[in-house]
Amino acid sequence: MISRVADHCFWMGRYLERAESTSRVLRVTSSLVLDAILPPAQVWDAALAVCGEDEPFAARFGAAASADGGLVTEFLTWDGSVPASLSNSVSAARENARSIREVVSLEAWEAINELHVWLHDGSGHREWEARPDAFYRHVRTGTQLILGAVEHTMLHDNAFDFIMLGVFLERMGQTARILDVHHHALMQLPPDLVREETLWLSLLRACAGFEPFMKRKAGRVTPGEVAAFLMLEPRFPRSLVFCLRESDQRLASIRVPGDQAFPPLRCQARLAALETFLASRRVETEDLHVLLTHVVDETAAICGELHQELFQAPQRAWPAPSVERPRAEA
Amino acid sequence: MLSDYRPLPGAFDELLGATEKLRATVEAMLAGGSAEEFARTQALAEAALLNQGVTFSVYSDARGVEKIFPVCLLPRVISASEWERLERGLQQRVLALEAFVEDVYAEQRILAAGAVPAEVVLGSAQYLPAIRGVQPPAGVRIHISGIDLIRDGSGAFRVLEDNLRTPSGVSYVLENRLLSKRLLARAFEAARVRPVNQYPARLAAALRSVSPVSPEETTLVVLTPGPHNSAYFEHSFLARQMGVELVEAADLFVDDDRLFVHTIRGPKRVHVVYRRTDDAFLDPEVFHPDSLLGVRGLMRAWAKGNIALANAPGNGVADDKGVYPFVPEMIRFYLSEEPLLEQVPTYQCARPEDRAYVLEHLGELVVKVVDEAGGYGMLMGPSSTAAEREEFRRRILASPRRYIAQPRIELSTCPTWDSQGQCIAPRRVDFRPYVLNSADGPWVLPGGLTRVALREGSYVVNSSQGGGSKDTWVLKGDG
Repeated sequence: MISRVADHCFWMGRYLERAESTSRVLRVTSSLVLDAILPPAQVWDAALAVCGEDEPFAARFGAAASADGGLVTEFLTWDGSVPASLSNSVSAARENARSIREVVSLEAWEAINELHVWLHDGSGHREWEARPDAFYRHVRTGTQLILGAVEHTMLHDNAFDFIMLGVFLERMGQTARILDVHHHALMQLPPDLVREETLWLSLLRACAGFEPFMKRKAGRVTPGEVAAFLMLEPRFPRSLVFCLRESDQRLASIRVPGDQAFPPLRCQARLAALETFLASRRVETEDLHVLLTHVVDETAAICGELHQELFQAPQRAWPAPSVERPRAEA
Repeated sequence: MLSDYRPLPGAFDELLGATEKLRATVEAMLAGGSAEEFARTQALAEAALLNQGVTFSVYSDARGVEKIFPVCLLPRVISASEWERLERGLQQRVLALEAFVEDVYAEQRILAAGAVPAEVVLGSAQYLPAIRGVQPPAGVRIHISGIDLIRDGSGAFRVLEDNLRTPSGVSYVLENRLLSKRLLARAFEAARVRPVNQYPARLAAALRSVSPVSPEETTLVVLTPGPHNSAYFEHSFLARQMGVELVEAADLFVDDDRLFVHTIRGPKRVHVVYRRTDDAFLDPEVFHPDSLLGVRGLMRAWAKGNIALANAPGNGVADDKGVYPFVPEMIRFYLSEEPLLEQVPTYQCARPEDRAYVLEHLGELVVKVVDEAGGYGMLMGPSSTAAEREEFRRRILASPRRYIAQPRIELSTCPTWDSQGQCIAPRRVDFRPYVLNSADGPWVLPGGLTRVALREGSYVVNSSQGGGSKDTWVLKGDG
């Protein structure tokens, strides 16, 4: 598999997952504000922090501006200058897919292209203004459709492995950040509010974990149980442990262990180390912020190793052209 | 829907000029339908193209805007006997052009014999002296060609130009056919149309047949300039349909005169490159010493016979518009046959008497730059302004070798959906059939790209300038 193609597959997966995660966070946050348990600014600050956009937002609009939910959602949904904005994520996923159209199945491509067209031809924006909830739902089902088409219409070869690797590494980072930001914010509250179940349930909802949690934990909604579930539940597809295991399996299918012709990968070793690290922790007694920061940093480091080991062409004798523009073909 | 259809004076109309039987086929197709119904079907076709991302990029803006290539569902129909004549003419032409390129980069017999003036050939910007003496694998250089044809006022097909470097558009032929079958199923079935979907398999077989190793051991790739290129959709389409990798120059490198692609498992050998990049962007070692584009050493690998490049570098010398007037001479010289296809009379500004005539008659002629494509750098005399004519006069006098002129041939018209008028109206068309050449000889795809000038009164069919396309139905019988 061509290194550049592997790179595009990986980023297509990451951007799709990021779009889905952002749409979920914005939908859940909009709903939580309506419960009026916390001041709106505090709720929206958390959404900005999860997307890593709290500082750019404050720099542009001022620290108090996050009380304006409309402004925050517009910023995180449509702003072309915000790298993690929803419309940028979908465009980037689509641009990556377009660069490897010979790899992505026709049905997956059509699904991704239709979502992109809907977001950028005005219909998506009209929906967003009229019914924001339906808008975010549409984006979420759109990305789910794309990943479904990927899984069920593409060859399960290395291209598929790289797309799913991107999905799970991005998801691991997202779950870690959502949990970190919310856990940190919620634990600062007065004790009566900390016990407010609605807040912890919305944290679960931001990770699509509400129903799975209720099934597993039989309704015992405590901060420790919620955190442990999102981190360690082996059967919940958005928990850290699940994402780690899936990433590991995808990598093992890319580089089959013991393959003499393919040297062992540092990213794989690092992923295994993170799995061992998480398995050895006791969530109830740890400083979660320190632990989750480590997970976020390691996820970034693993992506960096992947880039160096698999996506970069090592023998490239001269820098790659940025954008090549010969004249139009005849 | 055709009761108000009025052809344009002076132009051959593909419907009204057709044989009774062919006309009946097309009329039966439209019978019983209403304009509203057709408009809906037409809208469905456009939505399908947009959703599928069947687009081309326009260079006007930094990011490259993607647009769909507009399509008119009303097909252009060619009868079996018409097609048979065309097919033979195209095969003859490609064989002669192939012999010409081979000769120009070897003994140059045709120049010595004076059948084509040496200064026209050797003075072409597309002539590459560096590759003289190189024998490409299997001796094929023009693996894929697109020959542009028009139909004059009498209905005769004439060659307008040859595209022997990176002709594009065949993906639209295949996509348009899918639309025809999906949206005009009954008419399509009744007309009995020859299929075109075998093209990618034929292309892959032709490309593997010229490989330096056996077809089974061959790694074939499509080389694209990247997603910003206007024809990127087609590059990825062909790679996907042939089941081969689509690569960019940075994915490739040459070591010990052999070509490799970077994979996640390290370098992998490549044998055949269907390249959709210009000669100038192939290899900085040969073409642009200070450029970062291309694959360093690619031409060495080719000269050594370690890879096949399709099309071969240097083919531009044969589709140079300054060389075009001599193609009939090539056919006589190499094949000892008379040309089966007509050309368009051409004035060469390099010749003093032609130049004088051209400068006197700028207002009637179409002036073209010999090494431009895509409808750029043209003067359409009859619709030009005095200032434009003055500009071309200056340019022609400054470098006469770069300009040719032709009388404006009335393009044939075809019934076409007019979305403004919500009716069927005559619009001008041209035609690009595709020819694959391999060790087994030339094969013509039974179909091709009919380009249509969608704007009323327009002669410009280029996708970059308001043109659209139609499916071309080559019938199994005479309609």
